[in-house]
Amino acid sequence: MKHQQYETWILLGTELDLEQHRELQVHLKQCSQCQSLYQATHQIAHLFKTSPVPEPSPGFSTRCMTRIEKVETRKSQFILGMTLSVISLATLLLLSSVGLQIRAGMAQFPQLMLEMITLVAKWIVFLNQLSHIVSPLIRVSLKLISPIWLITLGFSLSGITIAWMIPFFKSRTIQRELHS
Amino acid sequence: MCNTEQQWIAAAKTGDKDAFAKLVEKYQRPVYSVCYRMLGTPTAAEDAAQEAFIRAYQALDQYDISRSFATWVLSIASNYSIDQLRKKKVTILSMDNEKHAWLAPPDPGPSPEKAALQREKLGQIQSLLTDLNEVDRAAIILQYWHDYSYEEIADTLDLSSSAVKSRLFRARRLMAEKWQKMQLPSTAPVNSTAKRIAHETSTI
Ligand SMILES: [Zn+2]
Repeated sequence: MKHQQYETWILLGTELDLEQHRELQVHLKQCSQCQSLYQATHQIAHLFKTSPVPEPSPGFSTRCMTRIEKVETRKSQFILGMTLSVISLATLLLLSSVGLQIRAGMAQFPQLMLEMITLVAKWIVFLNQLSHIVSPLIRVSLKLISPIWLITLGFSLSGITIAWMIPFFKSRTIQRELHS
Repeated sequence: MCNTEQQWIAAAKTGDKDAFAKLVEKYQRPVYSVCYRMLGTPTAAEDAAQEAFIRAYQALDQYDISRSFATWVLSIASNYSIDQLRKKKVTILSMDNEKHAWLAPPDPGPSPEKAALQREKLGQIQSLLTDLNEVDRAAIILQYWHDYSYEEIADTLDLSSSAVKSRLFRARRLMAEKWQKMQLPSTAPVNSTAKRIAHETSTI
């Protein structure tokens, strides 16, 4: 058998049957290269097995749990921040749409009140549904997406809304100027 | 896995931090030792071991209860250590002070002589492991100190069994060559332990 096969046996620590073991011993007596490889491998294994096991310094689990606590707090603060910004955005949208209705129907006050109550109720239902969808979504996305991307997403959403609001207010000003 | 451990895991999955603390208490040693042998300094090992537990806590939803918790958390620790080594390759290689931290045994032995021998052994292990690439090092650590099979190493490091075999073959050859060099008379400082270990094994 080739020298290479013995090397593989030695280096992979292959379990050998009696015949193979005898064969290897015969080869080791003839081949100094395999002999020293065999010795080195055994000495390394012995060194590894007899070395002290590294142990963490006392209080490891307490330090670890404190760190977990900190990470969790930071995460919930982030979720809270995101939720608040979503709610503020929604409120902004609600107020702007209510404003639109007030302008359109100043003459019919009772209907307007009814419409406003319906609108607010609809918004509450909508926000409630939204929170059911958004909260698990945030939980999952926090694990998948890095916080930087989420912040970027938040900012771009607010940007889009502001960009959408500007022409609306502009048109209102123009309308007012035309009336006067 | 014992019944109590399953209860701890189930409770931790629902957000019970005390239950998770018990799991940390139970598995801190194997996790820390993998990180220590991978990264080589107590500071880096402590940080990596904590990070491994944080990641485990955050990923508990994905943990399959039929799998061994020890294997799962060790796989997180090994892969995190591999990433750290890849990121800090240059820094670690150039930091001589940190290198000496390897030599400090975590718990000094009963006698100064024994402590000195343990320090020497840790130093020997460090120089054998330093030359291996991150993944080979992890494979060697899992095989020698945690008695992992090829399949378990493959599963932990996301490799095929044959890739694990060839990595271990290469790593063990590299270590044997290094060991042989360490025993040459020119390398006096490490020579004494190497000889002593050679003597110890010859008498087994
Ligand atoms: Zn040979």
